[in-house]
Amino acid sequence: MNELVLTLGWLGIYAPMALGAAASAVGCAIAGQASIGAMTETEGGYGRFVGVSAFPSTMVIYGIVIMFTLNRDVTPENAGGLFGIGILSGIALMYCGIWQGRACAAAINATKEKPEIFGLSLAPAAIIEGFGVFAFVFALVISAGIS
Amino acid sequence: MSDRDAYIALISSLPGSERLFIAKQPPLSRLRLERRLTALTPEDARVLKVLEHALNWSDYDMDVTDSQAIQRCKDALRDIPQPTLREVFTERMDLRTAVAALRLRHQGGSPPSGSFGLGRWSRHITANWSDPTFKLDGPMPWMKEARQLLDAKDPLGLERLLLSVSHKQLKRHAARHYFDFEAVAIYVLIWNIFDRWAQSNAQDAAKRFEHLAQQAMAGAAEIDFDGATA
Repeated sequence: MNELVLTLGWLGIYAPMALGAAASAVGCAIAGQASIGAMTETEGGYGRFVGVSAFPSTMVIYGIVIMFTLNRDVTPENAGGLFGIGILSGIALMYCGIWQGRACAAAINATKEKPEIFGLSLAPAAIIEGFGVFAFVFALVISAGIS
Repeated sequence: MSDRDAYIALISSLPGSERLFIAKQPPLSRLRLERRLTALTPEDARVLKVLEHALNWSDYDMDVTDSQAIQRCKDALRDIPQPTLREVFTERMDLRTAVAALRLRHQGGSPPSGSFGLGRWSRHITANWSDPTFKLDGPMPWMKEARQLLDAKDPLGLERLLLSVSHKQLKRHAARHYFDFEAVAIYVLIWNIFDRWAQSNAQDAAKRFEHLAQQAMAGAAEIDFDGATA
């Protein structure tokens, strides 16, 4: 039984990093495809498209920081806490990254037609980033209570 | 339901469908569109071909009978698995059935027995044959205007009204699809409307006629009416 609990603890430590990496990979791929498509249709502004398509890469950074914060000796007493915080923050980061990628793809597609809305079109992606930051910050705050 | 992110790059590489109607020059030729559509999977390309084949009038023979056309549409409907595209197809069939009924009655045709055409209103139309709009004002508010244009013998105006109605229907469906196959198919159908719209542009047609007439007149100046050209 103890082995299972310890395994869950280690899973919780690494989950934010793994799920954050998956989120960034999928999100950047979605937005990146949109930027490639837009480049074939427009005459300029390619740098902006590439820049926007890299937005979801922040999720893996948050995941790495959470992983280092949770990283400690895993004991039967703290394994449950590590598992809960790690898995749930990882899932939150994963959803934020994937949907941020979709929001960035929509922004790129819209900006291609109307370059003047570039800033405004990024608002949904920025708001999703905010939710990712919430998951990140409060994972750090809560993890301070784990022995 | 298609993969929602299946065609992100393809959709992003197409000019916005609104731009098709406001640009002075066509922003996307059929050749370029076809080249972009090579990104479709074989199955999606097949479904799109079935959809276009059943909806494009140019794909029908001039002497096609009603039953052959209806059968082709029924076959097409069986081959389209996406609910949204089936809905798009059914709406277009409803529109065509209603307009065909208007035209038939305008020509003095007798009310058909049983059902007429294809779609949800085929029996409703025959049951309400004597009503000016077949009592379809609710689901098809454009029927009254279509009947007026038909009575006024304005086929170009009627064509434009129908294209406008079809465009609105497609835009309504497009609002729920961004980067999936349905979005691609709806874009292609809107492009087809744009193409028909451009062909029915009276001003352009007049300019083209004038250009052709001038060409013909220029050629006529070189003709020796005794039979030999200069």
